Amino acid sequence: MALKTQLFQYHEKHGRTFEFAGFQMPLWYEGIVTECLAVRNSVGVFDISHMGRIFVSGSDAEKFLNYLTTNNVAALKPNHAQYTLICNNEGGIKDDLVVFRLEGRPYLVICNAGNRSKDLAWIKDNVRDYAVKIHEASNEVAMISIQGPKAASTVQKLTEVDLSSLTRFDCRFTKVGGQEYVLSRTGYTGEDGFEICIMNSPLEDPEQALTLWNEVLKAGEEFGIKPCGLGPRDVLRLEAGMSLYGHDITELTNPLEARLDFVVKFEKGDFIGKEAMLRKKDEGVKRKRVGLKVVDKGIPRAECRILKDGKSVGTITSGTFSPTLNAGIAMGYVPSEYSNVGERLSVEVHGKLLEAEVTGFPFYDPKLYGFKRVQ
Amino acid sequence: MKAQEYDTPDGFYYTKDHEWVKVEKGICRIGITDYAQKSLHEVVFVGLPKLGRVSRTDSLGTVESVKAVSDYFAPVSGEIVEVNKTLENKPDLINKSPYNDGWIAIIKPTDLDAELTELMDPKKYSEFLRSLIEK
Repeated sequence: MALKTQLFQYHEKHGRTFEFAGFQMPLWYEGIVTECLAVRNSVGVFDISHMGRIFVSGSDAEKFLNYLTTNNVAALKPNHAQYTLICNNEGGIKDDLVVFRLEGRPYLVICNAGNRSKDLAWIKDNVRDYAVKIHEASNEVAMISIQGPKAASTVQKLTEVDLSSLTRFDCRFTKVGGQEYVLSRTGYTGEDGFEICIMNSPLEDPEQALTLWNEVLKAGEEFGIKPCGLGPRDVLRLEAGMSLYGHDITELTNPLEARLDFVVKFEKGDFIGKEAMLRKKDEGVKRKRVGLKVVDKGIPRAECRILKDGKSVGTITSGTFSPTLNAGIAMGYVPSEYSNVGERLSVEVHGKLLEAEVTGFPFYDPKLYGFKRVQ
Repeated sequence: MKAQEYDTPDGFYYTKDHEWVKVEKGICRIGITDYAQKSLHEVVFVGLPKLGRVSRTDSLGTVESVKAVSDYFAPVSGEIVEVNKTLENKPDLINKSPYNDGWIAIIKPTDLDAELTELMDPKKYSEFLRSLIEK
């Protein structure tokens, strides 16, 4: 039986729902293309309560998280967050997540919905004699995401925190009335945006979450805010070049070939998978995750073959139609020698070969779209 | 949605795979129905067939939304003599005007009289939709 998040009442009434990672989630409300364009051009709001939220506290919290994850938790400043990975002993990626360090409070680890049980079990198996307390709070905390160039203007109406003082990946614990929140300048679309955890908000008591959701919709009304489902969420993250766990990154991919080695800090001391990854680094990275833009008309899909000069060289791991580029885009793994920007490859879709070109990330022009856009 | 909320205009023949046929002076204009376009929602790509011979029930291509791929099939046998190239840049015509501007191809039929008996008239197609929806 699929679980319902705190915001299900809204999804059921206004959206087309489907089952994702054991939750009844909205796929879209008005349409995937409409909602993508709303986020890129103005602002959209997503329910992300299905994701996992784990609190880690205790005198060894920093040490333990630094052993568990690939990024450097010791270098993480208070009221700041970092994107990071949990790897297995062979250097394969178990999950990608964001770790929040909140001043004077437990660390907050946000993980993928589909990996809630797996990550918790892995944490428990590796806690050993670290002095830490693990609190699985996924179903006690609701979470929403507001993304787009008008996200700051929208959210500012709802908080006393001066958002101009929050830079990307900053986070704050805050209180409005009696209600506690964690506010962060983070997201999964490439645009400026904020994620809000609504504390003490169990699944069976959705009032606080629904109230905030409706307040966000009201605050964003003048900007044409749209509620957005997981359909547009998947397109937006792909346009931004961000991986989706279970597709672009899995336990069979390592951070080096996934080109996520920017969050692997080899200099920091021991962490799970370090040895295996150093070995792979020495051996040389044989294949790489690339972005592909389809030059012909056609939509690349996961599991389509990637070819070079008629020979199969790789597979697509994520593919979609990009409303922002008005073209098919994809991610996949190809041999390192074909991974340079500009390399001409083809993708096999419905038995036809479509011309494609290796591109960098993000797919869109960052001067026109994304949080670095020229205003 | 209820069956009667789907448009099933007169003057068209229909297939169980939700294609339509309009007979115009002996040639057949084809497309996909209102039920099909509503099920797909925002159409972002139409794979047009090549010109040339086809048999009834041959797959002609796909109509795609961001999340769904739907094959469409030749409702009659014959020769594809024209395709709607406007759909290459405006695939959403299938949503906006499935029976008119969103037409997909024109087939010169080779066995029309016999094959028309395999197709449904608007009333039969509406009943068919009702049986699908109210299952």
